[in-house]
Amino acid sequence: VSHADTIPVRVVAVEQVTPQIKHFKLAAVDGSRLPAFSGGSHIIVVMNDVDRVHRNPYSLLGVPAQLETYEIAVRRMEQSRGGSHFMHDSVSVGSTLEIAHPVNLFGLSKIGRKHILIAGGVGITPILGQMEDLHQDGVPYEIHYSVRAPDHAAFLFRLQQRAADRLKVYYDSSGHAIDFDGLLSTQPLGTHFYVCGPAGMIEVVVAKARAWGWPESHIHWEQFSVPPAGEAFDVHLAKSRLDVHVVPDQSLLESIEAAGVEVPYLCRGGVCGFCRTDVLELDGELIHNDHYLSDEERASGRVIMPCVSRARCKKLVLDL
Amino acid sequence: MLVTGIKSKPVYTPLAPDLSGRYHLMVGHGVGREPLLRVLRDLRTAAPESGARTRVLFVGNPDEQSAGGELFRSVGAADVRLFGREVELLTDFQNVLTSSVMGTRLYVAGPESFMGLVMGLARQFNLNKDEVRAEECGAAARRVYCMHCQTATENVTTNIVQCKDCNRWLLVRDHYSSRLAAYMGVMVDAEAPGERPEVKEVFR
Repeated sequence: VSHADTIPVRVVAVEQVTPQIKHFKLAAVDGSRLPAFSGGSHIIVVMNDVDRVHRNPYSLLGVPAQLETYEIAVRRMEQSRGGSHFMHDSVSVGSTLEIAHPVNLFGLSKIGRKHILIAGGVGITPILGQMEDLHQDGVPYEIHYSVRAPDHAAFLFRLQQRAADRLKVYYDSSGHAIDFDGLLSTQPLGTHFYVCGPAGMIEVVVAKARAWGWPESHIHWEQFSVPPAGEAFDVHLAKSRLDVHVVPDQSLLESIEAAGVEVPYLCRGGVCGFCRTDVLELDGELIHNDHYLSDEERASGRVIMPCVSRARCKKLVLDL
Repeated sequence: MLVTGIKSKPVYTPLAPDLSGRYHLMVGHGVGREPLLRVLRDLRTAAPESGARTRVLFVGNPDEQSAGGELFRSVGAADVRLFGREVELLTDFQNVLTSSVMGTRLYVAGPESFMGLVMGLARQFNLNKDEVRAEECGAAARRVYCMHCQTATENVTTNIVQCKDCNRWLLVRDHYSSRLAAYMGVMVDAEAPGERPEVKEVFR
């Protein structure tokens, strides 16, 4: 993905759907239909803030067949690096943004015989798109949606309209929790499950699924990491012959882009593996925050995912 | 002799216990007994409690059945079902698949023609390579699918065979269809009726 590939869009509707989540509808500035996508896809929204550019991934939650507008939902992060606050505070109807073409890293298995969709909080967003695809294809599915309290249950009406009794909602405030063991131990052969939500929830579900004997090919999860802040450090880009300073609240990828060097990416959240970069020299340690590299690769110190990972080092040279 | 070098022929690998699975479903035919016994023993050694979650479906002649039943139970399989005919096993297998849950691992052992039918059913249930292990053993006789009348002739050991349904003489090709679980048979004397190469026994 490069800057040339982005699509200028205008915000055509904004709605506060829960105390923390805003729902945006985006239409192409030139009025054309937007690119087709499949349930589970995300886009990168490029936000030109005052002193920096934010590029955040957001799942598309609309009906894949309706391409006049894209719909995204943004949760205001308590510890925002600026992107979610920008969307909440500085974007309103009429604002223009740029988006990258949709990419699906959380697609449905087309040969699955049944699908279990598990969402925690704003993790419902990719599930909404998947639900539309499953509804269209007439494939059996269930949605298990866990939220803090009734007023945090975003898109509940839309879910009920489509999924009806295939939807189960669990409120923490009422002490209801999803019975993961009950769910995972009783599914017919050919079932796939998909989970999107807080890191702790994904870890628990995936571990339980493995314990019940689910093979990896039937376990699907998505979690875009927010690039964690950390100490400042310096990096040298060998091919570009540039020195780049990475400040505490900016990611390595963002710093490299700010210096004018383009790195290929799809998710900017440590999932897709596109920005994988070779480390040529290192005096210090890499702080890996991605979900992509293997343990061996992490330990090797020879490769890094600059979208979410950092370094604590005296010297770092990258093959860029 | 097993034919090698046929690109369309599925490659099956020796059976080994898969401890990531919670339930173990074993399906065997005749000489497939030995690989299944081996994997049952290995499974019991690695996870002694797994026998209670293990089921065996086995088809063989009366001697193979009585010996097999005893042996399978002796190595810990809790549920052993014996069949005299392939079609009976396959019917039960389909019922078992319908009621099985995620976490099941399938182990298949037997001649290729049997494996093809079992794998075809497993595929219908979206069981994939993570969940299925299979070992080919025994006769190399082929199931031959007549391209002309679309029926299968079983237990073919010769290079040329007469279709049991339409009586055409078929050349048995090396082209295997996983979907049909059979080798393709095409009319051998279509251009010059009655002129056929010598029939030789080649698949044993």
